[in-house]
Amino acid sequence: MAVDMRLPTVKNSMSLSHSAADRKDLVVPGDVITSDTGFMRGHGTYVDEDKLTASVAGEVQRVDKLICVRPLKTRFNGEVGDVVVGRITEVQQKRWKVETNSRLDSVLLLSSVNLPGGELRRRSAEDELTMREYLQEGDLISAEVQSVFSDGALSLHTRSLKYGKLGQGVLVQLSPSLIKRQKTHFHNLPCGASIILGNNGFVWLYPTPGQQEEEAGGFYTSLEPVSLSDREVISRLRNCLLALAAHKVLLYDTSVLYCYESSLQHQVKDVLKPEVMEEIVMLTQQKLLEHES
Amino acid sequence: MLATCKHRRHGFLRSDIKEYTRETVSMKDTPLSNCERDFILKAIEEKKRLDGRQTYDYRKIKITFGTDYGCCFVDLGQTRVMAQVSCELVVPKESRPNEGIMFFNLELSPMASPAFEQGRQSELSVKLNRQLERCLRNSKCIDTESLCVVSGEKVWQIRVDVHTLNNDGNLMDAASVAAIGALCHFRRPDVSIQGEEVTVYSPEERDPIPLSIYHMPISVSFAFFQQGTFLLVDPCEREERVMDGLLMIAMNKHREICSIQSSGGIMLLREQVMRCSKIASVKVSEITELINKALLNDKAARKAGGRCGFAESMPQERITALKTDQTAVEMTDVGETASSIVQTAEAPPQTVPSPSVPVPGVGQVGEVLRNTWGLEEEEEEEEEDGGESSGGDSVEEVTKMDVEQHQGDKSRTVDVVEILDSDEEEDEVVILYPETTKKPKNTASSSGQKGAGTSRKQKKK
Repeated sequence: MAVDMRLPTVKNSMSLSHSAADRKDLVVPGDVITSDTGFMRGHGTYVDEDKLTASVAGEVQRVDKLICVRPLKTRFNGEVGDVVVGRITEVQQKRWKVETNSRLDSVLLLSSVNLPGGELRRRSAEDELTMREYLQEGDLISAEVQSVFSDGALSLHTRSLKYGKLGQGVLVQLSPSLIKRQKTHFHNLPCGASIILGNNGFVWLYPTPGQQEEEAGGFYTSLEPVSLSDREVISRLRNCLLALAAHKVLLYDTSVLYCYESSLQHQVKDVLKPEVMEEIVMLTQQKLLEHES
Repeated sequence: MLATCKHRRHGFLRSDIKEYTRETVSMKDTPLSNCERDFILKAIEEKKRLDGRQTYDYRKIKITFGTDYGCCFVDLGQTRVMAQVSCELVVPKESRPNEGIMFFNLELSPMASPAFEQGRQSELSVKLNRQLERCLRNSKCIDTESLCVVSGEKVWQIRVDVHTLNNDGNLMDAASVAAIGALCHFRRPDVSIQGEEVTVYSPEERDPIPLSIYHMPISVSFAFFQQGTFLLVDPCEREERVMDGLLMIAMNKHREICSIQSSGGIMLLREQVMRCSKIASVKVSEITELINKALLNDKAARKAGGRCGFAESMPQERITALKTDQTAVEMTDVGETASSIVQTAEAPPQTVPSPSVPVPGVGQVGEVLRNTWGLEEEEEEEEEDGGESSGGDSVEEVTKMDVEQHQGDKSRTVDVVEILDSDEEEDEVVILYPETTKKPKNTASSSGQKGAGTSRKQKKK
């Protein structure tokens, strides 16, 4: 067995942008934000002896008279319209419980899914009994947030052909704050794989589906063997995602693609080494800056 | 919680509301993905475990005691529990006026796993408590009559509190080892009775006395998979999640079964249960050895006046970061130098596939280029004394090698290489030629000494 060993060295951490505009007001729990009593306190703050103090670690955001602290690492707080990738944890009467990296398990009602065949009809008692045939515990799904309950739990729906049960692929679990909000979260990357960037931090990588027709509204999962080249592309993408997440780069289709291109000179497994990660992320950030300017 | 439900727009049945209230309180474990479950089960079918252990192997057990008497920490791999024993004078039970009282309490703290809740009696905690009680109380391992002070009025109540600090599977075994270790370690205050007066002496006035323990029951857990086809000893947390059922056998080293419990609803054959009990007796004797050794070490440390206790058992001096920068290395002719070295070097020897160590403590006598260290278990390393430092030329090393030599000489057969007396060779030269009969002293001493066990000689017999 070949073992790769290298001695640890002092890491020179470098960041590309040092401009004043990028200076964020970062606080830790217990830091006093202001002693001025004229401000209203928002999320992530509390009043301690007339002083506004932060209760979470994050950046301070001020909107007129409202001060709130947005935490850097948090559970997913869903909003209507977000695309999520989740795992079924329970099958209950007329609904499924989905784990989406939020504070409460999300709910997927039976009436919010597309029945196989795509027809629109009232859900009967038979449908309730055969729920397990559609989605079981442990299945992965992609869905959209339909509404938010008052206690913060999300209600999901898969009422579109692009949502539904996910088949063969790779799931990468990252922090929700790294996913950029965009118009669409489903991308077919030109490198040969497809990606679903769930707003809850779960990213799904899968081989681009061929010309086959997707019947049954997203419940048909093809179990055909995936070719080796596709697998390599997906593995490389997954390692690139981990590299970007380690350096806290915002994830969207362009950044993922640039990172993939920068990593082509290394072997897939080398991308996981810290020094290679740094190099790749630096190149990606440079390319992104050029792209923006 | 119910107040907010009223404001909800969606119509929900009362049952749903109740479920919601229940859910907001607990934090569930992250669900195990299907691929992970399939992977673990398939690996078990191929007789492979996630951490590389064999089917009947326990993880590394480490037992340490605290500064107070009766405090015991047990590390079973990553699973960590702490047991604390305390005593108090109370009124005895009416049905048993001259027996002391044993009270057991096992707490699953949220420190151990996010799925555990503080203060809430989950199913698992009830089950573990019951098992611990059956294992220790019903087996009568402690002489409760010796705990009586005044019959009918005052007896000692011994309370054992077990706290789980980290859950990586098999809490029951760790808890039983910790409980019995703490009980063996505990000292209760001395009591004297003069007529009607009872005097309890503080530890400063009179030495506290240990409890009288008849035997040490220890529980061994077996996890079953695929409806009883495969079994594993000491399941880790992942394996526990995918197992079908669990068999717990509590035994002492005299091969007496103290308690046996099967959970999970699997059906076991009689031969399986017999086999498990045989395995359990082997494991229990090993673990009892470990506990006794740890108790002796602690006793010696306390006698020597040395520092003892939990804080001392944690390693303090650790290198946490390297301060040197990367150094540039001349790499232009590395390829040529490397290939020239490879060409002039000898071919590497064939490695012995599975050397067996006849007796613990027998080291390799350093035959030609045969490199077998790295193939023996860690226990051998610990049994060898730590006198073997790297590349030392100390006297102890020489004498050790002498001893091995003699042992090697005794088991020698005809076709074995002649070995010179090591006393004469004091230099650091490593001799690698197979034709000469000098043993490569430093290859053996610098690295191989640690219980490098081979018994090629034994094998040739």
